[in-house]
Amino acid sequence: MRTRDIEKENLVKKTAVETIAKGGFESFSMNKLAKACGISVATLYIYYKDKDDLLSQLAVEHGKLMGKSMLYNFDTEASFEVGLRQQWENRYRYLINNPTLSKFNEQLRASVYQEQFLSTFMEKALEPFKRFNENIVSRGEVKEMSFEVYWSVAFSPLYALVKFNNEGQSLGGKPFKMTDAMLWEAFDLVVKALKK
Amino acid sequence: MENFNHILLFRTDIKSEEDKLVLQPLLDKNKNIEQWNVDLDDEDYVLRIVSYSLKHEQVIEMVQDHGYTCCELT
Repeated sequence: MRTRDIEKENLVKKTAVETIAKGGFESFSMNKLAKACGISVATLYIYYKDKDDLLSQLAVEHGKLMGKSMLYNFDTEASFEVGLRQQWENRYRYLINNPTLSKFNEQLRASVYQEQFLSTFMEKALEPFKRFNENIVSRGEVKEMSFEVYWSVAFSPLYALVKFNNEGQSLGGKPFKMTDAMLWEAFDLVVKALKK
Repeated sequence: MENFNHILLFRTDIKSEEDKLVLQPLLDKNKNIEQWNVDLDDEDYVLRIVSYSLKHEQVIEMVQDHGYTCCELT
């Protein structure tokens, strides 16, 4: 008799994330995944209807996880600098502490699962971020602008630094390791740019 | 503990939507089959059948009669 085994299921999810982070979706197969986990292919198909089912579930789960991490300690009523600082802090910790996860998320975003990933993420996170942005504009801390422009200026420097860090090198292959000092140096510049 | 004896799994050569269409009438109209799907995205083309009464051998015979390879996935 086959039974559900939570530990095995977690191993499956963890291994799938690692495999996709490393090699993308192209070379990912249920057969290889089962081998990597030391379980039978049949066991995988007990847990998941098909490959698409497994990947959809992973996308949803990781969307939720990302939303939760990004809202940690975030106060929609905080001042612009305090609120943005917390968002930087959360994104930074999430991405730096989980280089595998951030590579996996990048793969998700470039795949057919992007919609599921982002909509689950947005479900919880969109409202608080919107509220915060409305607050900072209505208080006159930041001038009104399109969301895309705000987002690019507010977060792109952070993502560029994290990407260099997680790849271990910056432009031209120069070895690179990010420090907290660099993070906050870039942050201060962003605040200066956005603040009225 | 949950038991999964009602999930029957097979490795097949049902490789395309067309192949699936060949088997669809047979599987859809079988009253003993609650649900079925084939993973066309994966290399084993796994046929997954949810049934509380069918045995593996019965499914294998059905599918093979329609010209497809089908063996129990273990």
